[in-house]
Amino acid sequence: MRVLASGAGLCRWIHPDDFREWVRVHKSREPVEKLVTEHEAVSRCVADGDYVAYDFSSLTRGPQALVREIIRQHKRNLWICAEFTLHDSSLLVGAGCVDRIDVGFLGYGNYIGRAVVEGRVQVFEWTNGALAFRMLAGARGVPFMPMRNLLGTDTFLQSGAKVVEDPFGGDAICLVPAMNPDVFLVHVHQADVYGNARIFGTNLFALEGAMASKKVIVSAEEIIEPLEFRKEPAKTTIPYFLVSAVVHLPFGAYPGGVPGRYELDVEHVQQLNGIETEEHMQAYLDSCVYSVRNHAEFLGRRVGWKRLAGVARRALIKEGYG
Amino acid sequence: MDNVAGFTDTELMICAAARVLEDRKTVFVGWGIPQVVALLAEKLYAPNLVQVFEFGAIGPQSLTPFVRGTMGGPSNIYRSLQWTNMNWAFSYAATGYLDYGMIGAIQVDAYGNVNSTLLGGTYDRPGRRFPGSGGGNEVASLCWKTIVVLKHEPRRFVQRLDFMTSPGYLTGPRARERAGLPRGTGPYRVVTSQAVFGFDEETKQMLLLGVLRGLTKDQVIRGMSFEPMVAEKVEIVEPPTQEELRVLREEIDPARTIIG
Repeated sequence: MRVLASGAGLCRWIHPDDFREWVRVHKSREPVEKLVTEHEAVSRCVADGDYVAYDFSSLTRGPQALVREIIRQHKRNLWICAEFTLHDSSLLVGAGCVDRIDVGFLGYGNYIGRAVVEGRVQVFEWTNGALAFRMLAGARGVPFMPMRNLLGTDTFLQSGAKVVEDPFGGDAICLVPAMNPDVFLVHVHQADVYGNARIFGTNLFALEGAMASKKVIVSAEEIIEPLEFRKEPAKTTIPYFLVSAVVHLPFGAYPGGVPGRYELDVEHVQQLNGIETEEHMQAYLDSCVYSVRNHAEFLGRRVGWKRLAGVARRALIKEGYG
Repeated sequence: MDNVAGFTDTELMICAAARVLEDRKTVFVGWGIPQVVALLAEKLYAPNLVQVFEFGAIGPQSLTPFVRGTMGGPSNIYRSLQWTNMNWAFSYAATGYLDYGMIGAIQVDAYGNVNSTLLGGTYDRPGRRFPGSGGGNEVASLCWKTIVVLKHEPRRFVQRLDFMTSPGYLTGPRARERAGLPRGTGPYRVVTSQAVFGFDEETKQMLLLGVLRGLTKDQVIRGMSFEPMVAEKVEIVEPPTQEELRVLREEIDPARTIIG
């Protein structure tokens, strides 16, 4: 196959057989209880230098409590897949955890933009669809996927994609490399202790991410009985053998919302989006991450149960989230 | 806030773009202004418009008021035809099911190529950095007709983009096909706070189709850093109607998060 053009960006890629080998050895098919604290899950599953991806967005069912735990544990040199990232990429960069970002959508607000301008974080240009497709390739056990966009643009030139001649039709076509993250974080509506998980509503690549990643942390609003999954298997988003750790984290997407359970906290989100200066960033991290031991303490002491009851009360739309 | 004309630039852009969308068609809706355009179109002109969102909502009947930033939130994905994920959402565009795509831009050039990534400097050390493609590159590449919505300012209508995030007609006729993009796709309209543009069939360059009532062609062209082609008969773009403004201000965006 003739390579017509190559993007200049770096990308993390592993051979599909190496990923298969990892799955064979490390992702146990044994149904063991995996319920742990967020501290344990992150310290066991996330290492300095890891590639980390997550589902869904900062404001909707994002793994915000797990992101804060990564910050609390001062993980370093992470490379993240940023898609629907509004404020979490800013927090991770502000905390010094992340120094490389694959960009679908970099993030919202001036803080993250300035970090790029000042060279504190290195970015690699992709698109939301290309990153999702890379994840699909990783989940399908193939080294790349062909797609008919990225083509002709500067976005392509700064990505790690290639343009080749389609061996069937002869046209130029774009190949994006498979993504097999070290860690995938996903916050779900319901899980059982083994890691079976349910999401209601839409997602980016919840199943693909869980399949394609070496280690998978599921945080859940609610822990339910394993039998519930077998009674309604069409509702299962992720089966247990993809999952490394399960954490019970009610309000785990706060200040974002979880559809049907609680709405986002607009004031808190505005506070986050308004972070511009380094002092402001460090003050937020001190107050909401470093000075509290865990998620429960953050909720109890920094947010308050009354406020949480308020965001839960505002979740009036229940259709489809049962 | 309102200018002397009684509406904001953004309100005009939203209303003019909403009039472009056809009923009983599909549209891939980008983040921010396009979401509000689609809501206005659905309420006034295209009640059976099927809106498709990259976060996996197919054909929702989104509730209003619009809450900024709730991509994928429950009011956003209310009563959809289907809830799925990003790979399937973009696959609908890639297989030709999506008639329109709508995106914003920080810069656009004469071929309708779009920048939403950076301004100034180099890629590694830009002068200013913006979010990047998001799903804009997919929308501009894969939907049949792309609509770009942006403010009418010389710094936005440029000879040369600082970065080409998403493809218009690239360098001209047949360039999209040569690059491998799907046949028969490309930018269809550019809707601004002063004018509506199409693209010349032969040259694939931006073509002035209409100017806001009260403005001249020359005034519109002076607001750009390149000279567009001009249609034989330039239409008048009517300002927002009372009904459009009422729906926008009272039903869709009472907090004025988008309309300003």
